[in-house]
Amino acid sequence: MTDPAEQGPEKAGPLTKDEPAHGVPPERDAPARHGPAAEHAPIASPRFWSARRVPSAVVALLLLAAAGLLLYDTVAVEAADRRAGRWRRELADQLAARQLDDAWVLAVAAVAVLAGLLLLCLALTPGRRAVLPMAAPGPDLRAGLDRRAAALALRDGALRVAGVRAVRVKVGRRRARMRADVHFRDVAEVREELENVLADDIAGLGLVRPPRVSLTLREVNGA
Amino acid sequence: MSGTGTGRTAANRVLLALTGLALLAGGGLVLVGGLDLERRWDLALPSWWPLAEPDRPVLSDADRTRWRDEDWWWPAVWSGLGLLVLLCLWWLVSQLRERRVGRVRVRVPGDDDAVVWLRAGALEDALERQALTVEGVDGARATLHRGRPVPRLRLTLTLAAHAVPAAVVARLHREQLAEARDSAGLPALPTEVRLRGDRHPAARVE
Repeated sequence: MTDPAEQGPEKAGPLTKDEPAHGVPPERDAPARHGPAAEHAPIASPRFWSARRVPSAVVALLLLAAAGLLLYDTVAVEAADRRAGRWRRELADQLAARQLDDAWVLAVAAVAVLAGLLLLCLALTPGRRAVLPMAAPGPDLRAGLDRRAAALALRDGALRVAGVRAVRVKVGRRRARMRADVHFRDVAEVREELENVLADDIAGLGLVRPPRVSLTLREVNGA
Repeated sequence: MSGTGTGRTAANRVLLALTGLALLAGGGLVLVGGLDLERRWDLALPSWWPLAEPDRPVLSDADRTRWRDEDWWWPAVWSGLGLLVLLCLWWLVSQLRERRVGRVRVRVPGDDDAVVWLRAGALEDALERQALTVEGVDGARATLHRGRPVPRLRLTLTLAAHAVPAAVVARLHREQLAEARDSAGLPALPTEVRLRGDRHPAARVE
């Protein structure tokens, strides 16, 4: 697919005929004042970005526990003249005894690298994959369509075509797959009609990046 | 970033990235040293590179206690850990906090000095009722979230069967949202709309 930033306003065109074109703001300084539009201008993707609340809470909790425990234990040792906690003595002994090529050390390091990569992925990717960005009719409005809602809309549209008996639709972020059972009609005829209906319905979804649909028809006999 | 809670989204992602980088760097250093990649891959690591030999301990007693007798050691360790604890506490709490607004300041036409507060719940209810008047909308949930300079609206709509999503959004923008903004006297109402589908039985035309 091509760059969605260039594609967005163009695709929005036919759906929002009566609205001023979003891509060309009338005043030059307008986008600077509107939060969402301004934030999204430098980003090529209009995707919805997850706040990453759960991973943040988990990481914050783990770090908090580790730092808090270490802080408590060191303060207790130095200020109250107690012995260091057993876990800290054990940890220090292990760190001093095990060499870098020890299997445990390497395993822990590998896990740390993988966890680090995971956190970087979470930090840098938008997330919220279930929400497909829609072309916004105005600078103050952002809209997203659930993939499931898109699938239901396409299914309902396809079922209106005569001869279509059952439809299964899966909508991905770039591609949609529709499988339909045809009865009592010529498959080629139904396909042509279905393709027309689908083109309309896909446009009606109002997505920034309309998915390409692959259509599979199967002839079934009987009721 | 996300339309609502933008500051938190950015902060979360920066902190997650920093944590990830730290884990990656620490784990990577140990792996490079432990697997002796310098020799195996014929790398030329600089002389200051830490943990370069596979047969050295991860953290020897001598290294661990190197600065223990210095005056600055414990204050430095404690303030570092204390800052980390405070940062993590703030980070954790900000995940739990709901960023909803309780009340909305409303402008009175013709009187710029008047301060009128509207309960956010009342405005949310009105917005939900208005959204339900749009053809193709079966359910609506509106929440107002903190934002500068005006609150941000998050609207979750359930689409009816045979609704046209693009038409729903266009109509909502043209009529309901504009009306809500004007009647509440808000200069702007940044909105994030999410359209969901309700699993409904397939209506077939024979």
